[in-house]
Amino acid sequence: MAKILDKKLSSVQNKLLSLRQKLDFYQEELDYLDEKYQAKMDKVLSAFIKKADKKLEKYAFEACDKEAYAQAVIEEKLQKYDVKAYMKHREANHGAAKAIFAGGNVSEALAKNKEQIALINAKRKEYIDRLEAEKAEFLQKNSATSDKAYNELSKQLKAEFDAKENELKVKLDGKKAKEKASIEAKISKLQSKITELHGQLKSSDKLEDDVLLDIEGLKMYFGGLKAVDDLSFKVKKGEIFGLIGPNGAGKTTVFNCITQFYKPTAGKIRFAISENEVITLTDYKVHDIVLKGISRTFQNIEVVKEVTVLENLLIAATRYYNSNLFTQMFHLPALKREEQIMRAKADKILKYMDLYSYRDRLAWGLPYGVLKRIEIARALMCNPKLIILDEPAAGLNESETADLAALIHKIRTDMGCTILLVEHDMSLVMSICDHICAISFGKKLACGTPAEVQASKEVQEAYLGSGGE
Amino acid sequence: MNKLNRNYLNMPLYRAENERRSVENTLALLNKLRKNPVVGYVIFALILTVTQILSSAGLVNSSFVYAIGSTLIFCVVSLGFCLLLGYSALASLGTAGFIGIGAYCTYYCLAEWGLTIGVAFIMSIVIALIVGAIVGYISLRIEGIYLAIVTLGISQIIKEVLAALVDTIKIKGSQITLFGIDSLKLKTESIFYIIVGMMLLLMIITHNIMNSPTGRAMLAMKNSTSAAQAFGISLMKYRLLAFMISIIYAAIAGMLFMLYNRYVSNSSSTLFTLSTSLNILGAVIIGGMKSIWGTVAGTFIIYGIDKMFLQDIEFFRENPTLITLFCGILVVVVIMFYPGGLAQLLMEVKYKVEAFIRKKKEGKYGKDLG
Repeated sequence: MAKILDKKLSSVQNKLLSLRQKLDFYQEELDYLDEKYQAKMDKVLSAFIKKADKKLEKYAFEACDKEAYAQAVIEEKLQKYDVKAYMKHREANHGAAKAIFAGGNVSEALAKNKEQIALINAKRKEYIDRLEAEKAEFLQKNSATSDKAYNELSKQLKAEFDAKENELKVKLDGKKAKEKASIEAKISKLQSKITELHGQLKSSDKLEDDVLLDIEGLKMYFGGLKAVDDLSFKVKKGEIFGLIGPNGAGKTTVFNCITQFYKPTAGKIRFAISENEVITLTDYKVHDIVLKGISRTFQNIEVVKEVTVLENLLIAATRYYNSNLFTQMFHLPALKREEQIMRAKADKILKYMDLYSYRDRLAWGLPYGVLKRIEIARALMCNPKLIILDEPAAGLNESETADLAALIHKIRTDMGCTILLVEHDMSLVMSICDHICAISFGKKLACGTPAEVQASKEVQEAYLGSGGE
Repeated sequence: MNKLNRNYLNMPLYRAENERRSVENTLALLNKLRKNPVVGYVIFALILTVTQILSSAGLVNSSFVYAIGSTLIFCVVSLGFCLLLGYSALASLGTAGFIGIGAYCTYYCLAEWGLTIGVAFIMSIVIALIVGAIVGYISLRIEGIYLAIVTLGISQIIKEVLAALVDTIKIKGSQITLFGIDSLKLKTESIFYIIVGMMLLLMIITHNIMNSPTGRAMLAMKNSTSAAQAFGISLMKYRLLAFMISIIYAAIAGMLFMLYNRYVSNSSSTLFTLSTSLNILGAVIIGGMKSIWGTVAGTFIIYGIDKMFLQDIEFFRENPTLITLFCGILVVVVIMFYPGGLAQLLMEVKYKVEAFIRKKKEGKYGKDLG
């Protein structure tokens, strides 16, 4: 009986999951709306400007100051000529240098070089004279200036432009409001559905207030090896929680148990998705954990190196695409719409993480610190409630570590995430964590604020060895 | 608004600018077309069509065009395999079996039951999919060499089962109809056009899949299974997807082969044996595992050179095993020196040409040339 109830519960939870996923997507779409309509408007207006330019160009020559026109023509031509002259200059100098290094007569080579350069300069002067002559001739031919027609047309076009802009604004604003209303209606519908489903959830267990993740009696045995043995701790909402311990203490194993890469031998891992909705993570598959709001980074960087940074972020958003394989085979508009929205989201995160300049570069060969930041950006891509960082400071120098600490704080306050991290760098852990749990050989040594853990005798023994030895 | 306010009095060079702008616009359009790979595929298909038209007019050797057609059929298989090997890093040796399923389905639909090509097409895909789903669900839990062995065994089973059904399959020309109308009987020429059309369609679809969330998910899976899983990518789902796509391509190729050649003898031909699977694997590796053009080029090297040129030379016609030897040596050379395949080779050639030009300039003008 209990099993059937559990099954029903999990089916409700699955429904909730997919609804929430859709909700997230609509939220993104709403955010993207402004950008989309601005782009539409820009497109129409720039087309108009192009047309206007073409109309104006007919009268522009008549209207322009002929002297300035001719001068500008000369300057442009001279600029082009100078590029060539520079190359000739270089060729002459390089030739002379080559001749001298090859053991030729120095004075002879220098004299030859001087001669060549004089020739180049003389030619340039000749060219300038020719241009001046052309200019005089041009000015004689076209001396009259009448900007009346030009000004009239320009005024008229400006008025037209303003009218068009206003008209377009009204029209697009109306459309935008309509679309916004439709999306908002969808969102409110979804939300009501979610609250309705939420009411059906009568999960028997409830976590204490403020607790996000509750680990109870976690055991992970590999054959005879007890990697994690009877470990319990609680992570509160919105805090930065550190897990420390000497090498081989089983910290990463704990992470892998939370994200279901390993199925724990025994123990309960409970996660509060929202109020009165508590799930047991061990019931889910590895690839579903991310949808519950838990995303992670890896100890050895696992960025896909053969695609660009942007595409790396899009990989993390794979589960947010709703389009089916057929849509993807023919790149139908539905996919393009989703792709635009997701790209806008990825851009936002890249800018937030200060990675935008790397956007279109292959991840191959990027510096280590950048790759680390890409990993965190990727984790942010799935709207996580809990981010699990596996040794984020490994391989970073001191200033980079300080930057990282600031970044983690910033993410916590801006995104409202809870952060759980494993770290060797004690200064980082002690400075940024609200609570710390120290483990050794899979067993808990101490748990509490940084000061409490530092004061604990067992922790000191585990790190420094016991006094007797 | 800013642009409209632009005062032409201060911009006397409007004419030159206008010219430059129009040139730039044209270049931008050309660039856009050049960057859109679909244009390349369409041009490729057009060239092939023109070759067939010339051959009908008697200007090109018809056996040469026939060889191109046969090679294109294997290109279809390679494209599917490119997704499987290059994007999902799964090596299957069961390709030949699924070509066999496509060929036999076509034979039964057309010759035995008197149905049309459309039905044969759907039947081939559906049956291959059913078999593939079962095989994939069982065997895709394992990776690497083990998967290769399992698929090899399955391919052999399929071949034997098909041989037990009927050994020699043969379709008469009069049995190939498009919509069941007698006036629409298809000749070999028309089938060449069908092959080219199918090739174009599959190239576009493959390109689209590679550049869609699915393709990216497959790449993520290839690079790191744990990272892929952590971001919600189900290994089984995407492996099965890649496997199914490659199977569909193989079944389509089997159907096209049957339409084009009309005759296969299971026991005497090598089509349904390991050698086909290995040749396809070799073609994809030679071409460069992630590139569509590379895959097509690789297939033309493995199958095309043999069929188009070497068959005309008496020495090779008398010693057909030498052709296989040639392919084997090529694969070894490619893996030793260019693990990225032809695609990598082309990139390196491009880089070397650029370096050569730079060096020549430096010799003339000195270093640090901006």
